[in-house]
Amino acid sequence: MKRREFMLAAGAVAGATMLPRLAFAEAGRIDWYTSSDSNILDFWANTVKPAFEAANPGVTINLVDAGDGAGVLAIAERAIAAKQTNTDPQADFFESADAKLPSGAIDAGIYVNMKEAGLSNYSKVNPLAIESDYSLPYRGSQVLLAYDSTKLSAADAPKNWDDLITWIKANPGQFIYNRPDKGGSGGNFVRRAIHQANGLDPSLFTVDNYTQEFGDEALGKAWAILSDIAPSLYDNGAYSSGNTQSIQLLAQGVVTMVPVWSDQVLQAIDQGVLPAETGLVQLQDLALCGGFTRSIVLDNGVNRDAALKLADFILSEEIQSAILTELGGFPGVSWDHVSAELRERFADIVPNTIPTFPSGQWDTAISDGWYRNVAPNVDRNA
Amino acid sequence: MTAVSQASARPLDQGENRRRPYGLLLVAAPVLLVAWLVIWPIVSAVGRTLFQRSDEGAIEFTLDTYLFFFSDRYSLDNLTVTLWTTGMCALLLFVICLPIALYLRFSAGRLPAYVQSLAIFPMFVPSIILSYAFIRVLGPNGMVDILLNAVGLPKIRTPYLTPWGPVIGLVWDNIPLTVLILLSGLGNVSNQAIEAARDVGARWGQVLWHIILPRIGNSILVALSFSVLGIFSSFTLPYVLGPAAPEMMGPFMQRTFRDVNDPQMAITQAVITFGFCIVFGLFYVRSVARNQGK
Repeated sequence: MKRREFMLAAGAVAGATMLPRLAFAEAGRIDWYTSSDSNILDFWANTVKPAFEAANPGVTINLVDAGDGAGVLAIAERAIAAKQTNTDPQADFFESADAKLPSGAIDAGIYVNMKEAGLSNYSKVNPLAIESDYSLPYRGSQVLLAYDSTKLSAADAPKNWDDLITWIKANPGQFIYNRPDKGGSGGNFVRRAIHQANGLDPSLFTVDNYTQEFGDEALGKAWAILSDIAPSLYDNGAYSSGNTQSIQLLAQGVVTMVPVWSDQVLQAIDQGVLPAETGLVQLQDLALCGGFTRSIVLDNGVNRDAALKLADFILSEEIQSAILTELGGFPGVSWDHVSAELRERFADIVPNTIPTFPSGQWDTAISDGWYRNVAPNVDRNA
Repeated sequence: MTAVSQASARPLDQGENRRRPYGLLLVAAPVLLVAWLVIWPIVSAVGRTLFQRSDEGAIEFTLDTYLFFFSDRYSLDNLTVTLWTTGMCALLLFVICLPIALYLRFSAGRLPAYVQSLAIFPMFVPSIILSYAFIRVLGPNGMVDILLNAVGLPKIRTPYLTPWGPVIGLVWDNIPLTVLILLSGLGNVSNQAIEAARDVGARWGQVLWHIILPRIGNSILVALSFSVLGIFSSFTLPYVLGPAAPEMMGPFMQRTFRDVNDPQMAITQAVITFGFCIVFGLFYVRSVARNQGK
């Protein structure tokens, strides 16, 4: 082959590999999206996906990280648009989503009604966790406080909010939480402050009762609490940019205490990122928020039936036990459907109550309000 | 010598072929792409922020979002910190890169080759990796602290999560481009000119001020406007290394769009950012045009 021809051929081949690959949904390949952290993605890649694919030959799962909640919402909005034009949404399964969002999604008919979908395991789901017929709670997690037990003994660890505030102020620079929109550990710490400012009553806030006046009043009191502790935080009021960065600061011995997700911290301890003697404590007056992660199956996805099979599969005892043992989360099914041995072993992390905070407009108000009212009001050089 | 270089800079097809449209066809693809992917979004963004749908449903001219931006303390703080970061980065880049470029231009041998590869190295490091490396090295209880501690010195005041964090990261990230452009500019400075100046007794400072700087003024402008354009709208480094507030325009726009769910305001911020960037862009275009006109 002449050199010139060779160059042309090589160029054409190289060019072809760089062409954008058009993505089409494939039959038998469930397009799966998550907004969770990478520990959840790892859990799916290493545990759920192999088990499901082995049990269902011919079906594969395409795991896609949508980044965050807004990323999944964008895919859901695409599915609504696809429904209107009768095209392929290229999405079948959301690992974590809120059936009420985007608003009108249920009316548009893009989410499968799980209650009526005929899942064999649906009856096992913990009734307390069910928020909507259109989503399937399959795992839970809660925010708690992790601390360095070499600097703070378990006996002195704060057990209620007032003790926590006293401790933070008495030990300036030893506490940090992340920006509330960048990860749930800081986000739920902020929500706990909102509960504190509003009489410890989580029922005050519902997904559709946000109004400007109520929001300003209820959140304003919380901003006062958070601004009050800001100068005592790490570096006179710094906020890490995510759940993992908080854990990193605790691991590097920079701070003594951070709020963490129960599943993430157990995994971090398991992998040696945090030392085994890391202490964990939950506030007793009102626990930090937590919640169940709910999965959604898209009604207009090409692989709707396979995705429903997957939804049923993640409620099976095999996966529910793995959520406890491998993920450090707690099961979405009622406690009776977990083996007695596991029930006993994990009695500590299984909470009696899990206060929750609604999303929707509250999310936006909290995120924007925090950035405007809490984050800047500190003279960092003082 | 100047006559020769001027002649070769002229277009080659000065003859009878020049009316044929081949040249235009060759540039058509990039021009269309720029029009489609750059010019059109700009026009559309400006239009969408200036002409908004009112409550009655009619589309009318309004400056509301801009008035909000320029009367909102928080937004202005973000704009200020972005300008400060950009200015600080440009200054540091100039101070750091000019000596490197001068050294590489006026020395020979093996050592400058190593220095050059070291100066180009940041180009091959993705910024997200740089961010985490930064945290490990300059972050609290990072490598620097450990080394200082080993010799009994106090810890440094870490720049992590302060406005200096992004500055240090962005400067490091932009060194290669700046050094390369300055180096190519220094290629225009002939050894004869410098030798002649030294023969009549000019000191290094005088050579730099009277011979070298006037010749590379253009390159400095190009190098700085390139880095400034990139720094102004950077995202990863300010997001991971910077403070929660004030935040730079990149993270601010992203957050307004995705988390605050306010695309209108996000586009307004983008148009304002673009307005600042276009000033630096004009510097660049003007200097290129002036070069071509010579």
